[in-house]
Amino acid sequence: MEKHAIIGERIQNVDSPDKATGRAVYGIDFRLPGMLHGKILRSPFAHARILRIDTSRAEKVRGVKAVITAEDTPKIKYGAQINDEYPLAVDKVRYEGDEIAAVAAVDEGAAQEAIEKIAVEYGQLPAVFTPREAMAPGAPAIHDAPHNIVTHIAFERGCVEEGFRKADVILEEVFQSSNVHQAYLEPHVCVAQADASGNITLWGSLQAPARNRETLARILKILQSKIRIVQTTVGGGFGGKATQLISLYPICVFLAIKAGQPVRILNTWEEEFTASRSRMPAEVRMKLGIKKDGTFAAKEIEILANCGAYAGTGPAVVGTTATRATSLYRFPHVKCKADLVYTNLTPIGSYRGYGNPQLHFALESMIDMASEAVGLDPLEVRLKNAIRKGDTSVHGFVMNSCRLRECIEEAAAKSRWKEKRGRRRKEGQGIGMASMIHVSGNRAVYPFFDGSTAYVRIHPHGGVDVVTGEAEIGQGSNTIFAQIAAEALGVPVKEVRVLPLDTDHSPFALGTFASRVTTLGGKAVLLAAEDAKQKLLSFAATKMEVPSESLETKEGRIRIKGSVDPGMEYQEVAKLASHASGGAPLLGVGAFSVPSSVVIPDASRYGNISMAYSFGVQVAEVQVDRKTGKVTILQFFSVHDSGTVINPMLGEGQVEGGVVQGIGYALMEEIVREAGKVLNGNFTDYRIPTIKDVPPIKTIFIEEPDPFGPFGAKGLGEITQVPTAPAVANAIYDAIGIRLKELPMTPERVFKALKGSPRTKIENRGGR
Amino acid sequence: MPKIRIEVNGVSRKASVEPTLTLVDFLRDHLGLAGTKKSCDSGNCGACTVILDGKAVNSCLILAVETDGHSVTTIEGLQKKETLHPLQKAFVEHGAIQCGFCSPGMILTAKALLDQNPFPSDDQIREALAGNLCRCTGYSKIIEAVKSVTERTR
Repeated sequence: MEKHAIIGERIQNVDSPDKATGRAVYGIDFRLPGMLHGKILRSPFAHARILRIDTSRAEKVRGVKAVITAEDTPKIKYGAQINDEYPLAVDKVRYEGDEIAAVAAVDEGAAQEAIEKIAVEYGQLPAVFTPREAMAPGAPAIHDAPHNIVTHIAFERGCVEEGFRKADVILEEVFQSSNVHQAYLEPHVCVAQADASGNITLWGSLQAPARNRETLARILKILQSKIRIVQTTVGGGFGGKATQLISLYPICVFLAIKAGQPVRILNTWEEEFTASRSRMPAEVRMKLGIKKDGTFAAKEIEILANCGAYAGTGPAVVGTTATRATSLYRFPHVKCKADLVYTNLTPIGSYRGYGNPQLHFALESMIDMASEAVGLDPLEVRLKNAIRKGDTSVHGFVMNSCRLRECIEEAAAKSRWKEKRGRRRKEGQGIGMASMIHVSGNRAVYPFFDGSTAYVRIHPHGGVDVVTGEAEIGQGSNTIFAQIAAEALGVPVKEVRVLPLDTDHSPFALGTFASRVTTLGGKAVLLAAEDAKQKLLSFAATKMEVPSESLETKEGRIRIKGSVDPGMEYQEVAKLASHASGGAPLLGVGAFSVPSSVVIPDASRYGNISMAYSFGVQVAEVQVDRKTGKVTILQFFSVHDSGTVINPMLGEGQVEGGVVQGIGYALMEEIVREAGKVLNGNFTDYRIPTIKDVPPIKTIFIEEPDPFGPFGAKGLGEITQVPTAPAVANAIYDAIGIRLKELPMTPERVFKALKGSPRTKIENRGGR
Repeated sequence: MPKIRIEVNGVSRKASVEPTLTLVDFLRDHLGLAGTKKSCDSGNCGACTVILDGKAVNSCLILAVETDGHSVTTIEGLQKKETLHPLQKAFVEHGAIQCGFCSPGMILTAKALLDQNPFPSDDQIREALAGNLCRCTGYSKIIEAVKSVTERTR
C-alpha cells in the first residue's frame, strides 16, 4: 500500500477538546434572546377522527404567544419517500403521539398549561397494530393504500424452483426482530426564528440539514434559499436525525412565524419513544436450500414489516432488508416477497444498518442451521459461498474490492474458532460467527444523484478551510475531512479547519446516512484539495520559475521534487497569489458524482446500488447461565474490510460503538407496546448496554484500497452492528444447543427455551 | 424564594431559587454552565453528572436548594487555564469521545472515582461508571482513557 503521512494515522478527533471541556454548543444549549418555549399536543388515541379543536382557552393562558393547528399551516403533505404526513394532523390522527396542535409561551410551565387547555373532540376509529391485522379484509384504512400496504416488493432472480430441486437439504424458519430506538443521548431539539422578510432560520441537532431544508421548503411553500439551517453540535444520531424531518421542526417554524419570536422545542424522552422514528421490526420467513458440499442452492424469503402510521424512510429500509444481505454470497437463485404495512403505531425510520440487520439475523442464523444439517463447519460454508472481488452479485452489486474471505479466515484464526467451537457446551460456553455486507452510499435514497461537493480554501495568511454540507454527528467526519485535505495539500492537520455546517454557505449535501460521508464526502474533499493544490503550485511555479509539474507540497512547503532547495512556505505562496488577484483566496472546488455504473435498482431490484461495498465478520463468545437464561458475552471479534482506514482510532471507535449497539439489539432492547401505547419509554425500562455489559472487543482491519473511495476508503459506520445479533445467536446455539429466532434474546426468552416448553412460539407480530 | 449560597468551581455564588428548581437547571439556565448536559431528566443516563462535595451525583435529581452551603464541581471547573485536566486529556487522546454528549458527566464520574481511589481495578472503574450511559463509543476507549490516567499517576 502507498505510504501516507496523515492517512492511516491515529489522529485525535479535532472536536474532542471542546467536548471534553463542555464548550461545544449542542442543540439543547442553543438559546436566543426572547426565545419562547414550544410544546406539542399529541394524540391520546391510536386512530381517531378529529371532529373539533378549540384553542380559545389555551390562547388566554398568561404568557402564551402562539397556538397553532393545521389551520395555521398550508396543509402540504410531505415524507422522506412518500408524501403521506402533515406537520399537524388534518382531520385524523393515526398513532398515539401524532401531532395535533402546538403552543409557544414565555416559559415551559405556561406552554404546558396551554396544551392542557386545548379541547379536542375525537371520533375514535378501530385501530390495527400488526401487519396481519392491518392487511386483513375489513381492516380500517389508515391512509388510502389498498390493504394498508406501503410497499410491496416481489422479485425472482434465477429460478428458485430449479435451485431447490438441486438442494440436498431445505430448511424453512421464521425469524422475528424487534423495534429498537437509536437512543442517542441528546433528544430532538431545535430553535426556529422568522425574520420580518419571511426568511427562516433553524438551529438543530441534525444529520442531513440540506435534505431537511428541501422538505421544510415544501412544507412552508417557500423557496429553499429563504431557509437557513444551522447545525449545532449533535449529541448522537445513528439515523434518527437524518433525512426524515420529524414534525417537531416544521411545527417549531410555524410557531416562530405566528409568534414573531424565536421558539425552541425540545422532545422529552417520553416523546422520543412515542414520536421519533426508530428501527423497523420485521418477520422474516426464510427457506434455504443447501447442497451436501455446502454450496447454497436457492433462497426464498417473505418479509412482513410494520411501518407504523406514516411511510417515512420505510420503503427504502424494507428495500434494503429484501436485498442487501443476499449479496454476501454467491446465490444462484433467489426469490423474495416483502410487504411493508401501515399500522396505528409510531412510524419507523432509519437506524444504523437501515433494514440490513433484520435480514442478517435470519440469513446468518440459517447458514449455521443449514451447515449443521449437512454436517459442515459454518465457517467452511461461509468461505465456500462468500462473494469475491470481481463478482457481480445476484442483485447486480459490483464488487470492485472485497476481502470477505480473508476477514472470515482472520476472524477464525484470532478467535481460535476450530479449537473452541462445539467443545464447551458442558460449561455453557459457545462461539458464533456472522458475516456482513453494507454499502458506502445508497444511490436509491435520493432520486436525482449520489455524490458530494466540497470547497477547500487556502487562506492568504495560512490555514485551510474545508467547506462541506456533510454532517459531523460524532462519528468523526470533521477529523477525517481534515486528514484528507491535509494529506492532499501536504500541510499539517492542525492547520485545517472543517467549517461548521450552515446551509447559507455549505454546499448542498445529502448528509449522514448509508455510510456515505467518508467515501463520497471525503472524495469531494480530496478533489477540492487537489484543485486548490494545483492552483497553489501553478502560482508557485511562476514565482520559482519552474514548471508546476516539478513541484510538490510537503510539510507545509512547496519544493522542487528531488531538490535540496528549501522552496517556499505555502502561506507565502497563498499570500502572494491573493495579493495578485484582488485578495481572493486560493479556492479549490471538488464535485464528485458516483460513477455511472452506480444506479437505482430496477423494478426487479437489480442494479449496482453503491460505489463500494464493505464486508466483515464478527465472532461472539458467550456464557449462558442455565439457571437464569442470562447471556454474557465473554469476548468479541470484529474483522472488517472497509478499504483503507483513514484513522484507525476513529475506526475502532465506530466498531466498538456499533458492536455494543448490536449487543443491545441482540440481548436487551425492545420498545414494548400494548394497544399502541409505549410501556417502557424511559432509560430505566428501556435498557441500553452500560459499561458493565460490554465485553472486550478486538477490532481488526483487513485493508485493501478500494479503486473509487478517497485513498481507497469505504464505509464503516453502519456495518458495525449489522451482524452482531446473529453472531450472538449462533454462539448461544453453540453453548446450549438451542436456536433462538426472536430478538431480543432476553434472559426470559432463553430461560423459557431452556425449559423447552412451550417451544419458542412465534407470535404474529411482523414486529410490534 | 429561598436564598442559597453555593460554591461552584471554587467560586461562592449566591442566588434566590424556586424551591422546585433542579441543580442541573440552576447550573445551565441560571449560571450559564451549559457544559453540564441534560437528557433524561430522571437520573437514568448520567449526562448531568456533577461532583457534589466530592461525590458524583445526577444533578437532575437534586434540588438547587439542597445544595445550600455545599460545593459543586462542573466540567467547566476542571481545566486549569489552558491545561486540560489529565482525564480530559486522556479522553481526547484515547478517542473516548464521539458525539461527546456523555463526556462531561463521564469525566466527572471518573474524577470522583480517582479522587477517592487513585488506582481502581477495571471492575471498580466499570462499577463507578455504570450509571453513565454512552451510545457512541461502546465504552472500550473510555475504560482505556481512565486507566491511562491511573497508570500515569502510578
